[in-house]
Amino acid sequence: MPIPTRKLVWIALVALASMAAAQQPPPATQPAPDVIKISFESYALPNGLTVILSPDHTTPTLAVTIMFHVGSKNEVPGRTGFAHLFEHTMFTGSAHVPYGLHDKLTEGVGGGNNAGTGNDSTTYYETVPSNYLESSLWLESDRLGFLLDTLDLAKLNAQRDVVKNERRQGVDNQPYGKVGEILARATYPAAHPYSWDVIGSMEDLSAASADDVKNFFRTYYVPNNAFMAIVGDFDPVQARAWVAKYFGDIARGKPVVRPVVAPATLPAERRFHYEDRVQVSRLYLEWPTIGEKNDDQFALDVLGAILAGPRTARLTKALVYDQQAAASVSAYQNSNEDVGEFMVVATPRPGHSLTEIETTIDGVIAKLKAEGPTAEEVQKAIAGEELSFVRGLESNLGKAFNLASGAGFHGDAGYYKVSYKKSTSVTPADVKRVANKYLTGGRIALSVVPNGKPDEASKLPQSKKVTGAEDTPRPEVK
Amino acid sequence: MKALIRRLSAAIVIVALGALPVRAQQPLDRSKIPPPGKAPELRVPTWTKATLANGIELFVSEKHNLPLVSFSLLVMGGANQFEAANRRGVASLTASMMSEGTTTRDGEALSNALQLLGTSVNVGIGSESGSLGFVSTTAKFAPTLDILADMLRHSTFPAPALERLRAQRLVQLNASKAQPGAVASRVFPKILYGTDHPFGQIVTEDTLKAITRDDVVAFHKAYFQPGRATIVVVGDITPAAAKAAVEKALAGWPAGGSKPAFAYPALPPKPPTTIYLVDKPGAAQSTFAIGITGPPRSTADYYAIEVMNTLLGGMFQSRLNANIREEKGLSYGVSSMFSFGKGPGPFRAGGDIISAKSDVALIEFMKELRGIQGSRPVTDEEIETSKASLVQSLPGMFGSVTSIGSAIGQLWLQGLPDDYYQQYGAKIGAVTKADMVRVAKQHIDLDHLAIVIVGDRATIEGPLKATGIAPIVVLDIEGNTVK
Repeated sequence: MPIPTRKLVWIALVALASMAAAQQPPPATQPAPDVIKISFESYALPNGLTVILSPDHTTPTLAVTIMFHVGSKNEVPGRTGFAHLFEHTMFTGSAHVPYGLHDKLTEGVGGGNNAGTGNDSTTYYETVPSNYLESSLWLESDRLGFLLDTLDLAKLNAQRDVVKNERRQGVDNQPYGKVGEILARATYPAAHPYSWDVIGSMEDLSAASADDVKNFFRTYYVPNNAFMAIVGDFDPVQARAWVAKYFGDIARGKPVVRPVVAPATLPAERRFHYEDRVQVSRLYLEWPTIGEKNDDQFALDVLGAILAGPRTARLTKALVYDQQAAASVSAYQNSNEDVGEFMVVATPRPGHSLTEIETTIDGVIAKLKAEGPTAEEVQKAIAGEELSFVRGLESNLGKAFNLASGAGFHGDAGYYKVSYKKSTSVTPADVKRVANKYLTGGRIALSVVPNGKPDEASKLPQSKKVTGAEDTPRPEVK
Repeated sequence: MKALIRRLSAAIVIVALGALPVRAQQPLDRSKIPPPGKAPELRVPTWTKATLANGIELFVSEKHNLPLVSFSLLVMGGANQFEAANRRGVASLTASMMSEGTTTRDGEALSNALQLLGTSVNVGIGSESGSLGFVSTTAKFAPTLDILADMLRHSTFPAPALERLRAQRLVQLNASKAQPGAVASRVFPKILYGTDHPFGQIVTEDTLKAITRDDVVAFHKAYFQPGRATIVVVGDITPAAAKAAVEKALAGWPAGGSKPAFAYPALPPKPPTTIYLVDKPGAAQSTFAIGITGPPRSTADYYAIEVMNTLLGGMFQSRLNANIREEKGLSYGVSSMFSFGKGPGPFRAGGDIISAKSDVALIEFMKELRGIQGSRPVTDEEIETSKASLVQSLPGMFGSVTSIGSAIGQLWLQGLPDDYYQQYGAKIGAVTKADMVRVAKQHIDLDHLAIVIVGDRATIEGPLKATGIAPIVVLDIEGNTVK
């Protein structure tokens, strides 16, 4: 899922962080225990702010990140896209920080800043030379404590326009750009917190009011819903003092009420096709699975790696190399906090239909479900994770995201150790089990085809035409 | 109350450690910007140089904080030097073909071996340089290097693999024609440089279809030669160990080849400023690419251009982005950059603009381009921020084994001195406001710009014409003129 951000560069950084967060060494090459380690201390202020300090003096730079446990799933129908729109207003200045100063004290001193909003969380960061820690904490604390003092409708409207352009750039004007919101709508029932995409609809973005901003801020942007990590070249004693100085007097908020998220299952297959301004058809298969609170995510990650990626992966080998019916294929588990989806996406070569490709995919998956993977397939799938993890340790920001999200989602900044261990313990039997449990007939099959070419859709007679998320029928509630 | 108590106790701890004065009891005055601490010293990585038996220079930079090593074999020269105009794409296909099998391992065996080592060998050939490299854990360095050497020396380039890769490239190329940014990036160089200049030649269906296995084999043989290569190793390894491992792996690679001259043909005459409108019916946004051919990296104006462009379009709070995105709300982001290299890489400003405001955005782009040339004087704050953002970003270039490797590699590729990074601050510091205006005038010739706009002609042509900024030529997505 794309993560709407203040600026485009975020995407690469998130990839870096998820690389760090994504775990798993091979049993055959257990790294030295001290390699898979991030030294940190974690504590909470009396107002509930979680603080994680992790000094690393390798380079004279540091990262400050603050994650708020609020995302698009906390929105209400009619205000989709609001969590992300709100994120943008956090850069418009606060009581003591005039607009523009935030950039000047980060980017303007050789560092950077950005933020990203997902379904479950919104994360802000500053990267700065190591002598700019105090000003970074001053900036973050001022918008947490005093954003509403200067926020007005004009500032909201300016960012509303920017966000609408972000939607145009990433969704409306992008080939295959509407797939995310069509799938969300097709998978989750009405009012389900994951039934809309993070970017939201144009209509709802237009409807967001200044009062919405105030209410959202007061509800969710409170120290007891925030997780701050400081990583890099700093003195932890000094950092503790500055954190207390700048964040200590910000009042605790009311306890945050989390949405109740029902697990999603589809009783039967749902087939759709969507005509888009694309040159090449593409098939999307999506199975509702589980989120990152469920340990099946680890075996589902391995299942994705066994199915697609290197040329020896089963779908890649069958579709791209042996049959040469597809130009590309990917398979992966997307784990949000409460729910997730397993995706297979394939693009055909000329002369090969989506129907043919889907049939091959189904055959490969059926075989894997019946026989399970080999030990070597599992070993290969997890062999790269030691390197990925250690490379993630090179980045202050990657480490900061890792620590803050562990604290926010799992109540443990050191959750990466748990996740690493569980990833490395995945067995062929685990993979076989999750393949059988989740890759069932209850799925979405969405064909995206060029305008005027509905006959390129997979199994067209059984497929329903949709023109976007708006007319995509929601699943029936059991 | 609790917060205050907590802050006091924190202060007590600090006093006990003797690190800080007591400040917590004073009411916090948030109106003062906390001043920065003492600026950290710039710590530029050091490296050793050695020459291998076959003449390759080896750079090794030690970094032992993590068990990681990066290896890069860099080749000077790229597709612009080694591809024929009617074979554009052969460099990239050759790079991919090096994963398709060697005399002792077929493609699957190579893939399996690398997967079990937990890494991958990446081959990339760009327009003016190429690289063959990997990052591994320290323990896997030698076996991974052996596989890299096998791919370099003993690839078999199986013909069926070429057909598969060619078919995949053709699908990618076709798919990209629905992507406005990709269309702009193909049309823009073609307009600026023309198809007789390597910078203006792009990969097309025709060039991809023309490439034979013989072309691939010949390209590989001509391109990968020690005489134009260097090796950069960074990480948890000593220079002696790195040299021994590299000598062993590449012992049989015979000397030969030389660095290319980078002799580019003369640029075509620049026509008067023109809007090239690429019609994309129904587009929700217009993708702008406004630019002109630029100077090479060796220009004496390099530092002044960097400071000038940082202010113009190199930062979030650059003049372009502050105006067009933040103030006017016309885009998710606009920027500008100079593509510095051995040849005349372009200056390019642009971004994706809401269709209905394409005319407004064009007026603002032109206003800012005029502004940086003197009509809007550079303030003290602007020049200082631009300089600081450049100079103080240096430490961030030395954070990872790959970024250190590319920092060292750039010196070699661009012929820069060993103390380049130490001197960088002084060079940037010496740039004046007058320099910024001068280089803006000299390198962004407003009378000879190419303004490429990919968007919905029906919506935007009339308003763009009404701006009176330049005549409009309508192009198809291949960049050919539409009658």
